[in-house]
Amino acid sequence: MNWDASLLWQFDVLIITMVILCAVAALTVRDLVSCAIIGGAYSFLMCLLWTEMLAVDVAFTEAAVGAGVSTVLLLGTALHIKRKSKD
Amino acid sequence: MLNIVVMGLMLLGLFFFFGTSVGIVRFPDFYSRLHAAGKGDTLSSILLLAGLALYNLHHLSVDAILVSVKILFIIVFIFIASPTATHAIMDAGYEARVKHWVKRKTPKEPWPGEERRRQERHP
Amino acid sequence: MKKIALLITLAVGALLILAAEDFPRWGDAHAPANDYLSPYYIEKSLEETAVPNIVTAVLADYRGYDTMFETTVIFCAGITVLTLLRRTQRKAPKAVRPRPARQGADVILQSASRLLVPVMQIFALYVLALGHHSPGGGFQAGVILGASFILLALSYDLKTMLARLSENTLLRLSALGVIIYAGIGALCLLLGDNFLAYAALKVFGFSEVMAHSHGILGVELGVAVTVMAIMFSLYVDLASGGDLDEGL
Repeated sequence: MNWDASLLWQFDVLIITMVILCAVAALTVRDLVSCAIIGGAYSFLMCLLWTEMLAVDVAFTEAAVGAGVSTVLLLGTALHIKRKSKD
Repeated sequence: MLNIVVMGLMLLGLFFFFGTSVGIVRFPDFYSRLHAAGKGDTLSSILLLAGLALYNLHHLSVDAILVSVKILFIIVFIFIASPTATHAIMDAGYEARVKHWVKRKTPKEPWPGEERRRQERHP
Repeated sequence: MKKIALLITLAVGALLILAAEDFPRWGDAHAPANDYLSPYYIEKSLEETAVPNIVTAVLADYRGYDTMFETTVIFCAGITVLTLLRRTQRKAPKAVRPRPARQGADVILQSASRLLVPVMQIFALYVLALGHHSPGGGFQAGVILGASFILLALSYDLKTMLARLSENTLLRLSALGVIIYAGIGALCLLLGDNFLAYAALKVFGFSEVMAHSHGILGVELGVAVTVMAIMFSLYVDLASGGDLDEGL
């Protein structure tokens, strides 16, 4: 692996660690509403990662769609189905 | 000179962020945690962004001033949106009857104002 | 069973990580992806389309077909959710307990959203118009517009919002966006060039380069209209379970 091309590899490591933590948390949490919120956090971290890789267009879309609207849609859906997932 | 001001602002912002995080972890219940989060978060974001806006004015030009003005706009929106969001979450918690923290555990006796306020809200 | 699934997942993940070692280095100028088409876009897109943002030029001009069918996919997704959720007989009662109607609406939320929503919408138009020069474009603008309507519906009521922007209007708007996009393409076809070859628009008095630029703007407008309408109608349908009576 080489990190010279990115802006600051410390940021990379930090953000990637938090992304993985968020992904694992979203899988293990049973409450679907919490899962939706963690999904929003995950999207925001991915947005930071895109920005840091200088893909600003993708980051903008991710911030608007992933962290903004899709969290609201997931929340709205989660309230209408059974809130606790079985596994 | 400018650098010292910027560093002061950002260190102050980081200090308040630290306080917010400690508050969120350490406070006992939903309401007091949100109290810490709402106030500290707003103030520290504003301080950090103000520091960034000032730092951007190092090379004074029209472009730099434009970017600073944009950051100022973000500050205004955070100042409006963040307390409102905190208020909305608080209100939702109150509607959902989240238990508040009491110093002495007296489970039988409800909080004196609680029923009255609820009555005022949904008569 | 779960352990087997975990094993398989770990094995596939390890394989993927091993394979990732063979990727070209990040930002490598001689990677296969950067060798053939990218230099052409980087050198020619500004002089061919007068759009400084290469991403927008590639998205809406060179790869116009892709974006058109992406818009169509979004349209289809919205229509699918609509047909699945609307007017179906519910077997079980709604999981959401109806909230007691508030005595007097929440003034703080409403006045804050009154302050924020116009700015959001102006910002969305700014993003749409400035997609040529900076990150942004039709998709982001549409999402921000839709989010502003969702904010209004959250802070007021679903019914007051739907009284202003009814379901029929939403459907028509979402179809209108696709029609704008495909219509510009068909207009180019009518004027004697290929589908979505904006150079044909020069009959309206632009130079060929500016015809590309204005064609991109028109196409982005279509994308924004569709995405806005679909985002809001998705929220309306999903949050009310298809009954359009009460949102979140």
